[in-house]
Amino acid sequence: MRFKIVKYTIILLIILIALIVLSSAIGAANLSIKLTLKTLGSIIPGIKNLINASDISPQDIKVIFDIRLPRIFTAIIVGIALSSSGVIFQGVFRNPMADPYIIGVSAGAAFGATIGLLFAGNIKLISLSTTSIFAFLGAIGTTFLIYNISKIKGKISVLTLLLSGVALSSLLTSIISFIMIYRTQDLAKVYFWIMGGLSNSSWTNFMTVMPVIVIIMAASSFFMRDLNVMSLGDERANQLGVQTEKLKQVLLILASIMTAAAVSVSGIIGFVGLITPHIMRMIVGPDHKILYPTAAISGGIVLLLSDTIARIILSPREIPVGIITSIIGVPFFIYLLVKSKRQVF
Amino acid sequence: MGYPSISVSNLSFSYNENLTLKNLSFEIEKNSFVSILGPNGAGKSTLVNLISKVMPIEAGEIVIEGKNIRDLNHIEIAKKVAVVPQYTSLGFNFSVYEIILMGRYPYLSRFKGEKQEDYRIVNEVMELTHTDIFKDRKYNELSGGERQRVIIAQTLVQDSPIIILDEPTSHLDINFQIEFMELFYSLYKKKGKTIIGIFHDINLAIQYSEKIMLLKEGNIYCYGDVKDVINRTNIMSVFKSDVYIGKNPFTGKLYVSPNFNLRFYSKETKSKEIRIHVIGGGGAASPILNMLHNSGYITSTGVVNNLDTDLYTAEQLGITFVNEAPFSPISREAQARNLELIKASDLVILPCLEFGNGNFLNLAAVNEAINIGKKVIIIESANIDLRDHVDGKAVKLYSEIIAKSVLVLKSNEEILNTLKNI
Repeated sequence: MRFKIVKYTIILLIILIALIVLSSAIGAANLSIKLTLKTLGSIIPGIKNLINASDISPQDIKVIFDIRLPRIFTAIIVGIALSSSGVIFQGVFRNPMADPYIIGVSAGAAFGATIGLLFAGNIKLISLSTTSIFAFLGAIGTTFLIYNISKIKGKISVLTLLLSGVALSSLLTSIISFIMIYRTQDLAKVYFWIMGGLSNSSWTNFMTVMPVIVIIMAASSFFMRDLNVMSLGDERANQLGVQTEKLKQVLLILASIMTAAAVSVSGIIGFVGLITPHIMRMIVGPDHKILYPTAAISGGIVLLLSDTIARIILSPREIPVGIITSIIGVPFFIYLLVKSKRQVF
Repeated sequence: MGYPSISVSNLSFSYNENLTLKNLSFEIEKNSFVSILGPNGAGKSTLVNLISKVMPIEAGEIVIEGKNIRDLNHIEIAKKVAVVPQYTSLGFNFSVYEIILMGRYPYLSRFKGEKQEDYRIVNEVMELTHTDIFKDRKYNELSGGERQRVIIAQTLVQDSPIIILDEPTSHLDINFQIEFMELFYSLYKKKGKTIIGIFHDINLAIQYSEKIMLLKEGNIYCYGDVKDVINRTNIMSVFKSDVYIGKNPFTGKLYVSPNFNLRFYSKETKSKEIRIHVIGGGGAASPILNMLHNSGYITSTGVVNNLDTDLYTAEQLGITFVNEAPFSPISREAQARNLELIKASDLVILPCLEFGNGNFLNLAAVNEAINIGKKVIIIESANIDLRDHVDGKAVKLYSEIIAKSVLVLKSNEEILNTLKNI
């Protein structure tokens, strides 16, 4: 089993690195792969001295290092966060149709971002933009509200959780629409944010959310065996020694924070968190110990690929990455639905 | 050591203010096989859920091997008590091997992988439960019996001294039922495990248990050795259903049989002051006696040998009978008593008996009945030639009887209709 993890991780990392190089090379100013490799090499400490950097122009370094790389790494970390919280939500709910937004993170973030965009001035806190901070707070606030509504006598009722998630989400969406009626001049701004995109990426944004996501990923990875046992149902998992209530609470909180952090810098990017765990489950099987790390890296790959396409397909115009993930995602999702009729998940 | 496996005191539990368990106290000894029986809603599953701490205790104490379960966490309990559930559905399609390995959960550290010991136990159990042959298949592709086999393997991998069976075989075919029960019985006999089983099938419980607990409406109605607990009064009181208790001829254990006829016949029961004597022997009279008895007729039977099924039936139903020592021919004295009973009745029925030297006098008694003017019904579902084991003597007398004014019916089923018209 360890061999399986190592094998898939190495394959996926190779794909990811190749994609990073490719994505660094292409764009408004096309650079050759060779030049890109050289430029990338020149900023990696160990390899730096081996490379003759004389023919690299400072402008290319600037394009790659200041513009493309922050965006690439933000795409990867957001993809990782969405996909791994997708694995957690699907595992906790024992349902392959669950996604990271299922308990209100997206509506909460959209609500927060709308407030931030329209009403708050430019408050700079821990180097994040106002919108990001409001989006994060909105996401966390909504999730905790929903979570507390569905906690009865210290136990989470999954059904109440899902229902109150749906209810509160549509309430928040209505409020956003209501605000929009009075602020039509800001419609485009809000709409663009909600659709999701990585064009505002920066090293500061990346460096702020990355530690949160990495720490949560590392912490939650210790609960993957428990998630496996949970797929037998709460009662059976209980009989086998799993503290199901505690586990559900810990994992839902961790995954929600991770999703909120991702959403705060990227807006609401759909389908990555739903589909990537799916694809990986088909390839590596349902064992969460393998699924979790591989789905995480794949999430990075999927989002980076989508974002690169979003950048170049109508170049020099750029389309929100959420559109690309949905265009790829929806047909695939329907395919899965049709397939799942024949095969029991 | 020295502690009982499970000791329960003053345990109560309620769902929405309805008391499901009412102040239960009992002990289950180490290395015993105890079955908990009772009708639906008696509190059996609640009891199991409390012992395995799937549900929290409200009032009272449960002590497992000397430790109060309030002081034990789920992992510690899972090491002591394993439960085989009735049915397990799976969220994601794991392989058989992966599922069985999950049973080692209580022994694994969060930060480490499975150890050599874990794999050894899993392999042993897979061999024991014959799950090794399909260990790489997916759980959701298996049949019901195979799935349960996997879950049982998962339970055994838990390596706990106490195993609770929560109706694990109730939806399985008879071959799986027996195989699994034999498996648990051997764990009890050879591995010193304590087995606590909830069963719907009373006979399955009797076959394997050492002790039986009858639960009724949240109370322990009766708890003790099988032979002390299983009797007609207890079963009828707990299950509100009429049964006969017999002995399984193959195993010598008690055997509970529902009285299938009761509800059907009692509908057409009117007051019948007709006394009917049924000639017995070889079990041929039993279905007739049962049918008549349930329809409200006053019946008697004779002459039947001790150990004969018909005698047992008569005892169970409380019917007057004339008996004879086992494997002995009918004595003059028994014959006389049989004739007494015939004289006292309005009607005599001769079931489709076999005739040999031992019971030839029973045929003679029928002849006598006709001679003294009794109505006689003869059941002839098989030719008399095939039933004569006294070289034509029986055929001869039988033909003489038939020639007189008797009613010959082809089957037992016709009796009740015929009686209605008398």
